[in-house]
Amino acid sequence: MVKETSANSSRESSIKKRRKNPIGDPEVESDIYKKVIAFEEKEAFKRTAASDIKLCLEICEHIRNIMLEIVELRCRKPPDFAAKLYDKTVQGCSYIIMLKKFNRLDRVRMTSSREAIATDRHKNDSTELQYQNLLYESAHLSSEIKKCKQFKSKDEDVELVSVEEFLQDAPAAKTKPFKNYPNLDNTQKHELHLARLEWELTQRKKLAQQCSSLEDEKKQIAADILKTKNRLSELLPKLVTVLDTMKPLHEDLGLPVEKSYVEERQRFLLPDPLFIFYANADGFKEVHGINITLNILGEQDEAIRWKESQNISIFQNDDTDAENDRQEIEESVEVVKKRRHRKASQIDKNEERRKLLLEVHPLSVQLIIHHKSGSVLTMQFFYLTSLNIIAVTSDVQFSDHITGCGAKEVLYGENILKELFTGDFGLDSPNPLNQYQLKKIGLNSYQSLVPTLGYVYSWAQKVCGLEFLMSQRLKAESSVSGRHIDIVMNALNKRLGSRTSLAVQLQQLEQNVMPTVPESVDMPQNVISSLAKWTSISWQNFCEATCTAALLASEMVSSSDLFYCATITRTRASIKAYIAIQNDYPKQTPIFCLNAFCDGEFHSGNCDQIRDMERAVNVEWSNSSAHSATWLLAAQLRYLCAYFDVFLEIQSPVTYAQNAVFFKNMCGRNKRRPFKFRKVGTGFFTQF
Amino acid sequence: MNYEVHQKFLYLTSLSASCLQFKMLIKSFYNSILNLTFTPCGNYLVSGDIYGQITVFNLYRLMNPDLNGPNLDTKPHNSFTVQEDVQINSILATESFLIVGVVGEIFGYTWKVVKNSKDGKVAWKIELPYSEVLSKPDVNCMVAKDGLLYAGCGDNKIYVINLEGGHIIRTLVEHSDYIHSIFNAGDELASGGEDGVVNIWDIRDKEVTFKIEPYKNDGIARNNLGKWIGAVSISDDWLLCGGGPKLSLWHFRCMSPATIFPINDQGIHYAEIVGDKLLAGGRANHFYNMAFNGDVVSQIPTSSLTVFTAAHQENPYRAMCMAGSSPKIDICSNFNYRDQVLTLE
Repeated sequence: MVKETSANSSRESSIKKRRKNPIGDPEVESDIYKKVIAFEEKEAFKRTAASDIKLCLEICEHIRNIMLEIVELRCRKPPDFAAKLYDKTVQGCSYIIMLKKFNRLDRVRMTSSREAIATDRHKNDSTELQYQNLLYESAHLSSEIKKCKQFKSKDEDVELVSVEEFLQDAPAAKTKPFKNYPNLDNTQKHELHLARLEWELTQRKKLAQQCSSLEDEKKQIAADILKTKNRLSELLPKLVTVLDTMKPLHEDLGLPVEKSYVEERQRFLLPDPLFIFYANADGFKEVHGINITLNILGEQDEAIRWKESQNISIFQNDDTDAENDRQEIEESVEVVKKRRHRKASQIDKNEERRKLLLEVHPLSVQLIIHHKSGSVLTMQFFYLTSLNIIAVTSDVQFSDHITGCGAKEVLYGENILKELFTGDFGLDSPNPLNQYQLKKIGLNSYQSLVPTLGYVYSWAQKVCGLEFLMSQRLKAESSVSGRHIDIVMNALNKRLGSRTSLAVQLQQLEQNVMPTVPESVDMPQNVISSLAKWTSISWQNFCEATCTAALLASEMVSSSDLFYCATITRTRASIKAYIAIQNDYPKQTPIFCLNAFCDGEFHSGNCDQIRDMERAVNVEWSNSSAHSATWLLAAQLRYLCAYFDVFLEIQSPVTYAQNAVFFKNMCGRNKRRPFKFRKVGTGFFTQF
Repeated sequence: MNYEVHQKFLYLTSLSASCLQFKMLIKSFYNSILNLTFTPCGNYLVSGDIYGQITVFNLYRLMNPDLNGPNLDTKPHNSFTVQEDVQINSILATESFLIVGVVGEIFGYTWKVVKNSKDGKVAWKIELPYSEVLSKPDVNCMVAKDGLLYAGCGDNKIYVINLEGGHIIRTLVEHSDYIHSIFNAGDELASGGEDGVVNIWDIRDKEVTFKIEPYKNDGIARNNLGKWIGAVSISDDWLLCGGGPKLSLWHFRCMSPATIFPINDQGIHYAEIVGDKLLAGGRANHFYNMAFNGDVVSQIPTSSLTVFTAAHQENPYRAMCMAGSSPKIDICSNFNYRDQVLTLE
């Protein structure tokens, strides 16, 4: 072994020597060296590592064989032992050299592959780095994009005129590129937006300028007004002095300027509703020439005070109301504690509240209507400021020859105005608010206040421009008044006339004189039955009469009517007529309800003929004109007398000889009596 | 401005309207209905009043009231005026016409007009002879038989009129005062008048076959009420009559009173034999439904002071209607008590 190794080492050294040799010539040597290296490298890559390993294993096998042969040789020690040994050694060495060669090749290959790995790794690293860079860049960009997207421009907050308007209003030069407006691409849209913004800016500038100029103008005008006001206030004292100096002159000349001036002043102190009424009534007087007089009554100074305090009092009212409410609540809490103490003050407070609520305006309007019959109707209109209604008191002066009780009663102020329009008695406040206001001071309705304050007719509210049903307007309106004034005035005038004529008739009837009826009205002559008695009766009496039941059931008469009882006689027979005169006589004919006595009691409840007579008396006049006030009642009574004659003469012709002219006693299945008067010749009666 | 004018107009009209309304109300309060009849179809009730107005009610609506809708069922279906303020004395329903007798004239109306027309166009008109304007005869009662119209009139005569041409072909004169009622059954015609006589005519030879005078019978006469006969009705064997004298049933052949009815009345204006029942009404508080022997089957309180007329039918609605001296019509569907009351406006 030692030998071998030494042999090996010697070989090696020889190789080294060989190698060293080329190094001896540096130029050639390096060249060779490089060449060798290049060659080896080439060789290394030509061959594959796998085939080399095979070869290596073969070589090792060969070496092993050689070693075994050497061992065999050494043991046997054949003759040519040394030579053979040498051969074998050489052979073995060559194999080892080959091995070495392969080792070298392998190393070369390894280095080269390492290098390749290193370069690859380097490449990989750089790619990785680049990738990271790009990733970062993309994240940055996306965040940038996001930021861009979130960007809000100020212009979005600006309110712009709509595109259509813009296209219409802006100068053509600016709108030209956007003619085909709805189909624009994005840039064009952007441009359009810019253009609109620009347009808006110019417009706004213009308007701001205008605004400031107007403001200046306003200031200027305000200054002017102030100046004029000052001048006017300076003028007033001067005028007063002029008027004062003029006074003696007026007095000397006897001019009425002063009076109308005073009236004018009073007029403007009137509360709105009364002022409206005054103005409209005055106008009515001028136009229609009905004989009416208008006056304003009351203390002027108080009115001034009232007008001044009006605004303040409104506020105070609110305050006190709220205060009262609060107090009430408090009181309920400590009611036990301080009951006695509070009671007295509460009464005072109630009284005060009552006074406040029922406050009457210091001025009132007096309306005097002079009717040609000589009656004078005086009405006074008061304004209840808190209740916001008009109250009316009235009085009638009638001519001296009306003396009878019943006749006078018809003409009493409140009677004459009763139901000027259907259902309007003036007892309940037409202002729906009042009910609650009155409840607050412990009154159930307005009715109890009538004697002290006056009647609250709804026509009175209307002529003063107050209308409650239509709406909750609390302001007086002139148009409302204007709409009603002529109707109401005419109604008042007509009512006064008709009442006077009714009174005249009643006056005569009370003296058992049948009032005369004008020639133009057809009247039966030669009537035998005559009026025996005329009395005024009460609603109670009227209801108690046997004959009135059906009429009462039909609700055609009501307690507000006027009731009378007339007795008509012819020898032993008599007929009682219960008469209900409605308030708007003669528009509604007086209603007669008959009760005849002749061999028994007859009325519309047991006798068709009496019923028919009633019909004739009540219905036949339904077409009578409105001018019949002076004679309608009398005419009805006269006809009743005539009909009673006819009735008696047919009922018992033996007792009552025929005096009236009629041809057929009765006709038809209802045995109808001739209760229709025809004025032909002296006149006669027929059925139809 | 227009609004104001309008408001003013409304205000004025409401004033005059309330006044007018009141006048209409009082006029209607004193109305009397002298006639009632049903249309041939039985769906409508027709009335005639003293103001000359024909009023038509829808019976179907009355019998089947619409409970959900507004209560318009008792409102008249139609109404028109024949002659203003001239009372309608009689009406008669024939197949094609409503015949209305007033004073001196008889009018015919087609049913279409009666049911639907407000102006009441007259289809034909018959004028009765009269000597002077004021004595125009009232047409108090009418019956129709075989194309002939028998009209009992205020001039004591019964006119026989040919409905084809409208000519008076015969005049039956026997009564001495005006005729209240005529009734036809078979070939016989009964007539009753103010003179207290009931005549039975044979309509073939136009002669009076029988004549009775109830006021001459002591058990029947009521002197305080007079002798007038307000209503007659006949069947094959029986004759029912009443008026001033008490309501009485007479046997046809022996002509003697079989039953004198004990009802409390002050004059009979309506009486009729309906099958085995007798209906009667007049100046009494009730309308009577009686049997032949005088038993009162039912008595119906009336809204009217005096019942002047009644109408009854079985089909299509069983109904009996009564009216008289009031604007009200009582309706009963079972002949026993009053169901509904209609009012003329």
